[in-house]
Amino acid sequence: MLTLAILVPFVGALVLVTAPGLRATTSRALAVATAAVPLALLCFAWSRFSLGGTDFQLVEEMAWVPALGVAWRVGVDGVSLALSLMTGVLFVATIAWPMEQRERERQYYAWFLFLEAASLGLFLTLDLLVFYVFFDLSLVGMFFLIGRWGHGERQAAALKFFIYTFVGSLAILLAIIVLVLRTDPMTFDMRVLIAQQPLAGAGPVATLVFLGFVMGFAIKAPLFPVHTWLPPAHVNAPGPASAILAGVLLKMGTYGMVRMPLQMMRETFAAYALPLAVVALASILWGAFVALGQTSIKRRIAYTSVNHMGYAVLGIAAAGALVAGEEHARQLALTGAVVEMVAHGLITGTLFLLAGSIWARADTYEMDRFGGLAGVAPKLTAATVVAAFASLGLPGLAGFVAEVQIFIGAFAVFPWVAAVGLVGILITAALFLTMLLQVFFGERPVERNAFADVGRVEGAVLLAILALVVVIGVYPAWLLDLVNAATDSAVVGTATVAPGG
Amino acid sequence: MILALVVLLPTLAGFALIAAAPDRRGELALAAGFILGATLALAVAAILTGDTLLIVWGSGIELAGRLTPLSAIMLILPPLVALPVVVRGALTEEGPGLPRMVGLLLVFVGGMELVVIADDLVTLLVGWEVIGAASWALVAHRWRDPDAVTSGIWAFVVTRTGDLGLFLALMATVAATGSTRLNALGELTGMPLLLVSAGLLVSAAAKAAQAPFSPWLFRAMDGPTPVSALLHSATLVAAGAYLVLRAGPMLGDGFGAGAMAVGATTAVAGGIVALLNLHAKRLLAGSTSAHLGLMFVAAGAGYPGVALAHLVTHAAMKSALFIEAGTAHELRGTYALDRLAIGRAVPVLTWMTLLPTLALAGIPPLGAAWSKEKIAGAAHDASTLATIAVVVGGALSAAYAMRFYVAVFSPGPDVDPGRIPSRAVLILPSAFLAVVTLALSVLWIPAVPNTIADRLGVALPPGSLGLFAASIAAIAAGAVLGIVIARRRADLGRNDTAAALGDWLGLPWLLENAVARPAVALARVLARIDDVLVDRGVHLGAALSRTIAHVLARIDDTVVDRGVRLVAALSRWLANAGDRFGEWATDSLPRLTAYLVGAAGGGVRRTQTGLSHHYFAILVAGLAVAVAVLSYGA
Repeated sequence: MLTLAILVPFVGALVLVTAPGLRATTSRALAVATAAVPLALLCFAWSRFSLGGTDFQLVEEMAWVPALGVAWRVGVDGVSLALSLMTGVLFVATIAWPMEQRERERQYYAWFLFLEAASLGLFLTLDLLVFYVFFDLSLVGMFFLIGRWGHGERQAAALKFFIYTFVGSLAILLAIIVLVLRTDPMTFDMRVLIAQQPLAGAGPVATLVFLGFVMGFAIKAPLFPVHTWLPPAHVNAPGPASAILAGVLLKMGTYGMVRMPLQMMRETFAAYALPLAVVALASILWGAFVALGQTSIKRRIAYTSVNHMGYAVLGIAAAGALVAGEEHARQLALTGAVVEMVAHGLITGTLFLLAGSIWARADTYEMDRFGGLAGVAPKLTAATVVAAFASLGLPGLAGFVAEVQIFIGAFAVFPWVAAVGLVGILITAALFLTMLLQVFFGERPVERNAFADVGRVEGAVLLAILALVVVIGVYPAWLLDLVNAATDSAVVGTATVAPGG
Repeated sequence: MILALVVLLPTLAGFALIAAAPDRRGELALAAGFILGATLALAVAAILTGDTLLIVWGSGIELAGRLTPLSAIMLILPPLVALPVVVRGALTEEGPGLPRMVGLLLVFVGGMELVVIADDLVTLLVGWEVIGAASWALVAHRWRDPDAVTSGIWAFVVTRTGDLGLFLALMATVAATGSTRLNALGELTGMPLLLVSAGLLVSAAAKAAQAPFSPWLFRAMDGPTPVSALLHSATLVAAGAYLVLRAGPMLGDGFGAGAMAVGATTAVAGGIVALLNLHAKRLLAGSTSAHLGLMFVAAGAGYPGVALAHLVTHAAMKSALFIEAGTAHELRGTYALDRLAIGRAVPVLTWMTLLPTLALAGIPPLGAAWSKEKIAGAAHDASTLATIAVVVGGALSAAYAMRFYVAVFSPGPDVDPGRIPSRAVLILPSAFLAVVTLALSVLWIPAVPNTIADRLGVALPPGSLGLFAASIAAIAAGAVLGIVIARRRADLGRNDTAAALGDWLGLPWLLENAVARPAVALARVLARIDDVLVDRGVHLGAALSRTIAHVLARIDDTVVDRGVRLVAALSRWLANAGDRFGEWATDSLPRLTAYLVGAAGGGVRRTQTGLSHHYFAILVAGLAVAVAVLSYGA
């Protein structure tokens, strides 16, 4: 079933590529239908998922290279199920969203489906080598979407994105190889690696492997100071690709950080939890302040991702610190981090879709070229206001649920880091409200009088995603229970390792 | 369930009203009135049934709602004040976006009720931020005006600064006690207690527009009049005082002393600022900060019941005065006190408004005067300095109340009759609030407050005749001063030192130039650094690899290539050498062999002697060699 969720969009992509006669509208309809299949399958998987069951469920396994311990293994825990569900939702939304520049539609939708297969594969696989393969395939998909359907300096931005994150993925590959070589018999099975903790007590080797993982995933997340590939990639990418980049691809960094360093190297992680938390704090503050300093809508939103992923990593770092007696707080932090990933995916994905709509209508992102759009585009305004408030963490919307848990959990472990990190909440409030003022309120320039409001499809997509944001914000129990099913064992597992042992 | 409905009904109905956007004012007013009436009824039902609320979020976080005796009274207040204010607003405010304003006011009431019922810090934080966001949307209601939107941003960002305190308090409480419940505050000691006290005080002070956060309330006056009357006088700001009186008793003396210090400072400073203001709504806003300061003093001194009493009396009189400021603005198109003078145009209103004016001035036997005197008594119980501040604040309150009344309701020139709203709209809401203000006078009958205090389980401060006399004298002096200013210096606060002081003693300038601008400038600088330096690091890395690649290419061109050429040359040399040596070697070898073979042949020929003993000797020697070799091998 999970294999099918990966396979269907992949086959869909192949069909689109190899069917030259397909019209644009048919391609789009086919792509939306194909993207809906994995979402349906994942919902079904969710209904079969048992909250009290084993860590990884719905496992499917097929031998591939037995000598190396590589196999096609898929399965989910609460974290990966939540993230892949969010991925499924976001891909349907972005594929349904109208294209900015209508050219080579067939290939465009094919790349989107390819990217969906790679993203779902990454979250669903339980094999490190397959994980790495999907990690790199996602780069390829995004590279072509930015490079071929972007605007402005799209080639340069795509190349920078590719090279930069590829360097990170090489660090991850090295770390994976060293980690796996320590297992006996050799295996890439994540479950075995989590159970064996192969680098426990391995000294400097463990540190190097940890650094490799953290470096690679920090670039992908991205964290300060390795985030500078993000703004150009976002600014020049088409809106829907930006939404996927922020909503799904960035999560690969934080998800990897949970799965590999946190779960497979508990002891080493605990030793470096505080430095990681400080890096997260730097990302929170740097992302917020630098976002405030931007004059372009899309760059401003892009930098808030650095800020939000900082929150997520702060939660992960707190969860991995070995502080006796704070298991509940650490689990809270980790659950918060995962919910932040889901919430950020939906919220920032929406914001980038909206930014794409603005570009499609005005050909610019510069805030001072706008104003008073509320008068001509009330629906677009309302959606942006809701998404902006969700992003700045207003209660009743998804972001708050995540942030309040991260902060409560992190404070018990790293009080001062968490307390200083609160400033980020204030700056994001200021930066979103001033953006709303400059773009949607105040006087409207004459050139914007013909600015069109969102269409039917856009409206429906926005309504669906924002409804989800509200539901998570008001009644998150269903999501928290799902995530807790995984974070519980992740943190309790940490606790069973004796300090220093 | 009923308690949940008290929150949900106005919230959901508010959004529904925004979505439905009825065209006719009458329908809008009727719908809003009905919803608020129903909310009021639900609130009463929730109090009578003692209903509680528990929503499990997961991860050990629960949203809990519960009413204490004090919060039960507080629950009634928002829908009760909102009823006249919102209905009047629906009937009179300017057209565009009216359903949005009315709907948001209802959403705000829902958020406010959530703050009131909150029994844990997460629920409190949720309501706290929702009313802050509602404040942003309502102040920025006239969104075409960038100044109004900027004022909304001020309101949200400044109060959110305070929200960080609430976040901090939540984090520290959970870390120290493992619980989010308000009751857990009582278990705190040491550093966590200090953090939580400071956090809660900051968030309460920010919400209640206490010094140094006060200026946001001035800017919030850019919002429509109903918003000022409901949010920025009676309820949203009152949430700050409510937090102090709800959490204060559990936090101990340190928190109380802090609250008194903040409150006493603001009571005096806010009074001065109000008196020096020419802008009618800002005068009232300064007064609001000052009176919330009085509530902080009472709650900090350990008399939460007194603080709540003043909260209620203040809500009634202040929302009435805001409505009249709005009426004056409707008639004259300005808020400048020396140009209002609507007494002749609306004589009935002139008489009715006397009641809330005298209440604000603190003149017995109105209810607000009772609660203010009790605050003086509460302060007297705790601190001399605070007592002086309350008395001085009372004098200032009398002064600006009289200045406001005399300026607004002096006879003045005729008004265009077309601008005067219908009598019902003009009179009914004001009459309602005036009646409430008057009815609260029953507090002067000792049996009434004593019975209520017993019911609520709160203490009342002992009275002191000397203090009462001093207080009344101060009020009288203040009232005279206010009338003199209104008559002789009607334009006080237009273009003079008073104007500068009246703008919150220069605090907005300070916040703008010491906080907001530097923050934005810092953001710009960091953005440049990010573009130039941080990214440059990457570019440097890329450039470095390019350089290395170039160097390697050069090495490839020069060294490696030369190596290849060297090898080639070497092989050429070897080939040449080999050529010569090979010729010689290949020539010499066969010749040598031929020579050796020839020589051996000659030697062998010489052994052919034909002598048999020679043959034998050679044979024996050969055998001996063979035996020797074999035996060595064995």
